Amino acid sequence: MNTVHTRRQFLKQSVLGGSLAATVPAFIASTFERLQAGQDRGKEGPILVVLQLAGGNDGLNTLVPHGNDHYRKARPTLGIPSPAVLRLDDQFGFHPALKGFKSLYDEGHLAAVHAVGYPNPNRSHFRSAEIWATGSSSDRVERHGWIGRYFDNACAGEDPTVGIAIGRQQPQAFAGTASKGISMERPENYRFVEGSTGRNRMDEDEKHTYREMAGSMDADGDEAGSGGTIGALAGGGVVHPDPRAFLERTALDAQLSSDLIRRVTTRPSAGGSYPTTAIGQSLRLIGQLIGGGLPTRIYYASQGGYDTHTRQKDTHERLLRELGDATHAFVKDLKAQGALDRVLIMTFSEFGRRVSENASAGTDHGAAAPLFLVGGRLKPGLHGTAPDLAPERRVRGDVRHSTDFRQVYATVLERWLGTPSKPVLGGTFTPLPLLV
Amino acid sequence: MAASKNSSEMKQAPAALKPLPAHAWNRGAAAHLLNRAAFGGTPGEIDSLAALGPEGAVRSLMGRRNLPDTLPAPAWTQLDLATRAETLRAMRDTTESERQKLQRERQREQRQQGVELVSWWLRRMHQSPDAFREKLALFWHGHFATSSEKVREPLLMWRQNQLFREHGDGEWLNLLDRITRDPAMLIYLDQAQSKMTQPNENYARELLELFALGEGHYTETDVTESARALTGLTLDRLTYEARYNPRKHDAGRKTILGHEGPIDPWQLLQIVAAHCRSAAFITAKLWTFYAGVEPTPAVAAGLVEAFEQHDRAFGPFLEVLFRSEAFYSPDVVQRQIKSPVQLLVQACRQLERDLPPPTVSLQVLKALGQIPFAPPNVKGWDGGTAWINTNTLLHRHNLALMLVTGENSLPALGRGRKGGQRRRGTPALTAGAGGCDLAALLPPSLRSKPEECVAAIEQRFIGRSIHVQDRKALLEFAEAHTPLDDTEAATLLRLALCTPDYQLC
Repeated sequence: MNTVHTRRQFLKQSVLGGSLAATVPAFIASTFERLQAGQDRGKEGPILVVLQLAGGNDGLNTLVPHGNDHYRKARPTLGIPSPAVLRLDDQFGFHPALKGFKSLYDEGHLAAVHAVGYPNPNRSHFRSAEIWATGSSSDRVERHGWIGRYFDNACAGEDPTVGIAIGRQQPQAFAGTASKGISMERPENYRFVEGSTGRNRMDEDEKHTYREMAGSMDADGDEAGSGGTIGALAGGGVVHPDPRAFLERTALDAQLSSDLIRRVTTRPSAGGSYPTTAIGQSLRLIGQLIGGGLPTRIYYASQGGYDTHTRQKDTHERLLRELGDATHAFVKDLKAQGALDRVLIMTFSEFGRRVSENASAGTDHGAAAPLFLVGGRLKPGLHGTAPDLAPERRVRGDVRHSTDFRQVYATVLERWLGTPSKPVLGGTFTPLPLLV
Repeated sequence: MAASKNSSEMKQAPAALKPLPAHAWNRGAAAHLLNRAAFGGTPGEIDSLAALGPEGAVRSLMGRRNLPDTLPAPAWTQLDLATRAETLRAMRDTTESERQKLQRERQREQRQQGVELVSWWLRRMHQSPDAFREKLALFWHGHFATSSEKVREPLLMWRQNQLFREHGDGEWLNLLDRITRDPAMLIYLDQAQSKMTQPNENYARELLELFALGEGHYTETDVTESARALTGLTLDRLTYEARYNPRKHDAGRKTILGHEGPIDPWQLLQIVAAHCRSAAFITAKLWTFYAGVEPTPAVAAGLVEAFEQHDRAFGPFLEVLFRSEAFYSPDVVQRQIKSPVQLLVQACRQLERDLPPPTVSLQVLKALGQIPFAPPNVKGWDGGTAWINTNTLLHRHNLALMLVTGENSLPALGRGRKGGQRRRGTPALTAGAGGCDLAALLPPSLRSKPEECVAAIEQRFIGRSIHVQDRKALLEFAEAHTPLDDTEAATLLRLALCTPDYQLC
């Protein structure tokens, strides 16, 4: 199929692009040519995959301090019994459902940073997620996201596919002056359907049908458990001074990216099998896009359901299993593609949970928690200072942070993406020795 | 209710909300009111509102409570206690495998009822003459966001929805009281699970942060103390009613928002509702929902004043808002990004067509990012530009095709489980959305007059001129194909529904 021809025809026929074609035709043509060429360009350069654990992941039951008496006292029913823990050393081990993480750790592909957070922690999901998304201090409200500022500072040009978020919502972390980055839920639907031409049938991927059928009207196909209050956390909307211009710009980005995405994703994936969970399928898609050689620097996926106020045990176990298994499959795929050395995965959650469990067999909102990095070029193992769980060392009953999350961002920006972190973070944060 | 007693002309509106003068009232203003206070309408409906003048139009839209209700709730919304008790007993007194079977059956039934519930509400938005009330219920649903994904029981979601319909224009403390005792809310924010020994903070926190005061206007101590104050309030799992057990309430001294005492749930709500932030918080949120922009400081102050003038009752307050000149300012009109529900319902009203079948409507709303009864989290939908990204915008463009021609490109929705087996080979295309009546919208007499075609589309769908570049493109299309056959007329309509202007109202 002659894509250039159909694209031009479309731009000409449709008012969506028609309005812009008349005003900025050169801009469209040049961007479009670059997108066509971009498939080769994308084969080099580092890629960051951000994995949001929405709802507040219980860090203490993820990277379990199994040798700690304070942990045992604070978690009489929810504590993970020592023998069940997937031991890393005498003090720490993974939740038993995190077999995927344990394998990655053993293979030298996983690094954990203890007690990541920020001063004066906020226990609101939305405020804390906003702080993580914007990279601000807890006493300052920012609108633009840290990834959006990275696009503004380090990614010249108009290419909208520099950032791709998997899902229906654009994460607040992507918000920036130039509003780059696209959102996509399912590549086969990521297109403008022309009517009455007989071409509106889809090449339906059987796995996707299966997933959709399994999903019903649930947001992400998960069984909603006790963590169901937070299914997704995109972050607050950014107020745009001119909604019409914003719509125009987004329409253009959608057109420019849709053919490219679909061409890449209709090629067979090399990556072997992924779990059928929502997070598994998100990572499968990212693996496919990476394999297609898109020029994308940042991918963003989210797993919801971590707000485990009640009956935490089963829900948390399921979430961690899904997370570990999906990440493990993703790394296997990247290895098979020979791409693992170019990819770094970073998890985050808006906060950890209270050290002491509550009376509803759950945990309430907390503060600092471990953060995980996965990839081919990192220093595996546990980093940073382990949290002191003694009651008098907690902040309002929460884990006190020992590493500022912006130090992790600075590490990723400077030592992975290769860009100065100060213009992005608006301050100086010392990178950590996490990468090689 | 309170609206008739406290007739608004007895009280002068605050200066920042002075009424729109009658001479400034026109068809555009009437269309704006109908879009924002309800779900838009046909040219004929706009004309009738325009004829009433500003005061009459607002009164007319808001005064339809007692019209006959032609859209009764599904039969399953009437809980039969005997059956419920029997079900619970059967679940209890049976084997594990039998229990799981019963649970699966119940889940299947709940999914079906969930679809019926969404469909019922959408039909009310689409057909009820009292669409103002449905729009207000949609606001409250987004504000006191509760999701069926956790609550599970459609009956309880329906009851909460009725609460918004019946009390959404009532008094603030009354609404807070009812929502705090609402069974779906008790489940959703875990109050039903809270215990005196170690209270669950979920409801207490969101009450302060999201429902009544806003982040930054309370302390962490206020949250933990409020959680103590709420203990004793729980849910009766048989009758599905809230229950307050004083013996399970922590009656000890508490300090909340500067008040001290053995505060109980109702005293907590009084403290919260009377807090100086709460009027500012809720009125600004209502303004932002209806006006599409945040209030200026002067408007914000006026909103609080009007709210207090009308004894914190939302009906009379909204009457002031809808009549205010500020609501019709250029910063407000045609600058709000339509929510997915607004887009779907308004487009069907403008196209004078039925809503798509229930599962198709659900599938569309899911793709666009707003499933009624399933907000993404307790904060509800962020709205505004958050509705729009490359993914949702492409879906909006494809929705336009479906509503005009009936062609649906979205994959089918629903669990194909049958006897534990998943059905395979469900067709990817969902048929049966139905198109619109092209001959009525673009009559043959217009088809050879490109300028008049475009003008008719503008008048019906945008309410003013489409942006000049888009207008030019539409006109060129119409000129190139004149006279338009049905396919071309449909394409022209579809393209108009894809313009940036059509995403706004």
